[in-house]
Amino acid sequence: MQWPVRRSKGSREPTRIAIIGCGAAIAGLHAAALRKLESRGTGRVVALVDPDRSRTAALGRSFRRARPFTTVAEAFSATAPELTIVATPPALHAEHAVAALAAGSHVLCEKPMAIRAADAERMLAAAASARRFLAIGMTRRMATGLLEARALVVSGSLGDNLRFAYRDGAVYDWPVSTSAPFSRTTAGGGVLIDLGSHAIDYLSALFGPPSVIAYADDGQGEGVETNCVVELDFPAASGFAQLSWNQPLVTGLDIVGEKAELRLHPFRPDSLLWRPRGGRWQARETRATLARDVEPRPERGAPRTYYEAIYYQLVQVLRAVRYGEPVPVDGEQGLTAVRAMDACYLQATPLRLPWLTAAEQSRADDRHWSRTRWLAA
Amino acid sequence: MAGGVAIVGAGGFVGARLVEMATLAGRTDVVPIVRSFRSVGRNAHLGVRHRIADASRPDSLENALAGCDVVVNLTTGRPADILPITRSVHAAAAMAGARTVVHMSSATVHWQVDTPGLPDDAPPRLDHWMRYARQKGLAENFLRERMRDARPAIVVLRPSLVWGPGSPWVMGPARDLQSGSAYLIGDGAGVCNLMYVDNLVRSILAVAAHPAPVSGFFHLGDDEHVTWREYYGALAAGLGVDAATIHAVTMDRYRVGRRDALDSLRSSSAYTWLKERIPQETRTLIKLRLARARRQEGESSHGRPAVTREMWELQTTRYPLPIDVFRATYGHHNETSFRRGIDASLAWLRFIGLHEPHRSALSMAAVSN
Repeated sequence: MQWPVRRSKGSREPTRIAIIGCGAAIAGLHAAALRKLESRGTGRVVALVDPDRSRTAALGRSFRRARPFTTVAEAFSATAPELTIVATPPALHAEHAVAALAAGSHVLCEKPMAIRAADAERMLAAAASARRFLAIGMTRRMATGLLEARALVVSGSLGDNLRFAYRDGAVYDWPVSTSAPFSRTTAGGGVLIDLGSHAIDYLSALFGPPSVIAYADDGQGEGVETNCVVELDFPAASGFAQLSWNQPLVTGLDIVGEKAELRLHPFRPDSLLWRPRGGRWQARETRATLARDVEPRPERGAPRTYYEAIYYQLVQVLRAVRYGEPVPVDGEQGLTAVRAMDACYLQATPLRLPWLTAAEQSRADDRHWSRTRWLAA
Repeated sequence: MAGGVAIVGAGGFVGARLVEMATLAGRTDVVPIVRSFRSVGRNAHLGVRHRIADASRPDSLENALAGCDVVVNLTTGRPADILPITRSVHAAAAMAGARTVVHMSSATVHWQVDTPGLPDDAPPRLDHWMRYARQKGLAENFLRERMRDARPAIVVLRPSLVWGPGSPWVMGPARDLQSGSAYLIGDGAGVCNLMYVDNLVRSILAVAAHPAPVSGFFHLGDDEHVTWREYYGALAAGLGVDAATIHAVTMDRYRVGRRDALDSLRSSSAYTWLKERIPQETRTLIKLRLARARRQEGESSHGRPAVTREMWELQTTRYPLPIDVFRATYGHHNETSFRRGIDASLAWLRFIGLHEPHRSALSMAAVSN
């Protein structure tokens, strides 16, 4: 859908930005890009919202003109932001995005869009009703290597019968301030929601809409999965995604076709290796570029790091506010990933972990969260 | 809860496996303690409640030890923190009235096992070139002093190389074998003193379960004596790597290589000072450029072995670490054989995608013991 651009024509005023949720995602990932936008006069953070005043105070040291708030309602009535970045825990995304949209603000919601499809659908309905955009922060989509790979897949350069293997995993090291992300009741799930939302979106960007064929994870009782494998079918490719919070997986995406192979790294934006079947690997130059500023005729460039990808994503979202251009990932695309995750959890089975003894695996199977859910039902 | 077993450092490699094994054995008396919520992530699948405490502050740790008779110190981290955290854990355990402190040291405090029958309580080599080993030694000396106290009993464990799924002693050799840069010093006849991670966990739990633990120092190792050639050969066979591609290094003595020179630079305080002052975004960019340079260089030096001092000394070890004293005191707990350990390690390498990367983990079978 198209949304109205309410700015006066030619306005060069910085876009007014509110941030809901002032935790690690903002401080560790977005803050540097937002500061760069402020220094260039293209965006201004006007409101910081978090029930924890120490967090708004800490983030406020980076954004001196922003006002701190403990509730969303106060922030919107006092600052009337044009764009709201929702970076609260995933279970709260729907509540905060709907509130922002109802207040007339466009929304950039951190991934995952929501932890259940019903919440994501509610967010989409709120965006349509408010005639505002709902963008999802899938930063890996800003990788120019991905754009080049998509072009190769679509052109048939890899040949038919594409098979892929996607792995992303390391020992968990993300700063969190509570144990909420590690409880099924409060988080809804673990590594599938965290890294899986990226994986499914990344693969969908390459291959189209996914179908979940099989899914297994290691979550037990009230715990959340730290390892999972999902087998996926796409219109022109099939394969698996494996994700981990506690194993050093060999991270990357390998695509094998009848004619050639590709290798991408999901958070090294310009990484793309290519080889004809049986040939030598070679780095493939990517020609794709992205807008680097919010001028009507922008300079163009390509992100080299994950942090730069966040900046490019924000630039494109600000261009959507100013000129009505498309956002990198919209709510419909976000919903696709959430529906796939829902499908995974609905058919979850215990995952075989090769370091467990037979007796341990049997006990882990008995404790699998899907069994306790079934018993409770 | 009385009689609990506190695992300080439950988010580390050994700690996480211990909590997993205990949980899957149906135990509810094991209390994982970690420094921050982020360390809960590693074992989040178990649904076990973790306590949060700063192991370097006895007051913080004392509260977390409530209800625990046994305190197992499995903390890892910077060498500079080893001694202060050892002191703190001991103080907190004493304040909490714990019966036993189990302290994880390392056989590396000996430098090399260069005599047969090395006594379990041999003093650590404080002139060791490795800072980590010196700090482990200082921590041991502190605990040796405290062993004179009536309570708590202090059991210092000195395992050899801890290997198995998740261990760098599996990952490193596997990567080297695949890249063609693996090497054996001489003919690979040096003794490879290994301790399979599950065997180590069982030994720790045996001490924790002992009604009257004996204070002292104890070597820990697997039952079988294998050479480095046998260890690398077993991994190579499982990975489908021709053992003939393993380089034979014939140097008569160690000479400083580039990898050690770089490691030495990285462990300097000037490096740490500088690193902490460079913004994360810039660090990422520098890392990316260095990785590219390394890749390019790797292509030209593919297959060349980079001998490190640590590996030189490990591979020229002449004797097995004696493990009889622990066995006589606490019983035999090495249930996993070398062959089983190799099988599980190879299955894990497939699981993480280092071997047979196009195979889905859904199609892999579990390893049984």
